[in-house]
Amino acid sequence: MLLALPVWVLLYAAIHRLSEAIAFQLLGLTPKSHLGEAVAFFFYDTPKVLLLLMLIVFIVTFLQTFVSPTRVRNALAKRAPGLGNALGAVLGIITPFCSCSAVPLFIGFLRAGVPLGVTFSFLVAAPMINEVALGMLFAMFGWKIALLYAGTGLSIAFSSGLILGHMNMERHLEGWVQDALKAPALGEGEEERLTFTMRVDQAIQGVQDIVGKVWPYILVGILVGALIHGYVPEAFMAGLLGKHTWYSVPLAVLVGVPLYSNAAGVMPIVEALLGKGAALGSTLAFMMAVIGLSLPETIILRKVMRPTLIATFVGVVALGILVVGYLFNAIL
Amino acid sequence: MLIEVFGPGCAKCETLLKHTRHAVEQSGGEHQVVKVSDYATMAIRGILSTPALAIDGQLKFQGKVASSEEILGMLKA
Repeated sequence: MLLALPVWVLLYAAIHRLSEAIAFQLLGLTPKSHLGEAVAFFFYDTPKVLLLLMLIVFIVTFLQTFVSPTRVRNALAKRAPGLGNALGAVLGIITPFCSCSAVPLFIGFLRAGVPLGVTFSFLVAAPMINEVALGMLFAMFGWKIALLYAGTGLSIAFSSGLILGHMNMERHLEGWVQDALKAPALGEGEEERLTFTMRVDQAIQGVQDIVGKVWPYILVGILVGALIHGYVPEAFMAGLLGKHTWYSVPLAVLVGVPLYSNAAGVMPIVEALLGKGAALGSTLAFMMAVIGLSLPETIILRKVMRPTLIATFVGVVALGILVVGYLFNAIL
Repeated sequence: MLIEVFGPGCAKCETLLKHTRHAVEQSGGEHQVVKVSDYATMAIRGILSTPALAIDGQLKFQGKVASSEEILGMLKA
């Protein structure tokens, strides 16, 4: 364990030179050529994204052993709108949460007296501000962009929860959910007590699980990123996703929603887009649409919400992303 | 003992079910393993994240895939 960190630093420092050596010396490609630049990007980004991902997942999973959904639920129960929405959004970032747990968590929150609007703030923030994406943005593009991402995501989660909370949507929950909300509780287990070693073990387990699961997405993402980096002319990208193109933000969202990837997989695409002169607002909108509004999650949530409610939910979030995109294109 | 494994049927829940069956075999005792995938039941039992496991009605953990050894320890305790 103690040896892992220096090894990590050494590897990370060597990537750039290694990637150029592979592309230009080993494979004999010409620097500045389309293929040469694409291949160099690929061999640079693959180890870089994987190394960063391992470190970030380790830190995030370790921190998450301190925040359980049960604790978060108790913190949010019976909160008034406003403060409750803000707290829900912030806790949504860090709570360990997998989309297959979305339904029990949703019902469990409502049963404990967490208002529907506050639950929505949590549910919007959880996928939209992905804790791994936040770490990757910080490591790859600096704290300003990371803060921008977190800040805008939080405001979308906060305001969409606040709006949905005021619309009295409770009656748009599926019938069995309304029944489950009224049923009496059947006792609860106590929280596990964790030692430091158990937390570290869980963090290592998390790295194995997540990296083992997402590496195909990362490779696809890097491949797309490499093609953009090597072949797409700057003038074309600046025109399509530039800040002065009025349709660039909705275009980014429309392309982003059906794409299902994860936080680590989009990073290389974001990197290549920004490098080619795409506007920051449009790029952030694209990233949020890919990570935050994914079809699989919507399908899972459809089990508890009637079509009106799910459509309102998706609509409010999509609107929020559009506003953010236009806002940043206008002010930056 | 009655062992309930809660989960909607995602990969993690199936792994936990496998670990549980393995632990039961190892223990050599008479235990019944039941898979619960009904969301309403999970809600009433206070489960917020899946997979979860209960022994004789007592919730032991939620939101993690315990190893066979861990579950075996719980069966013996």
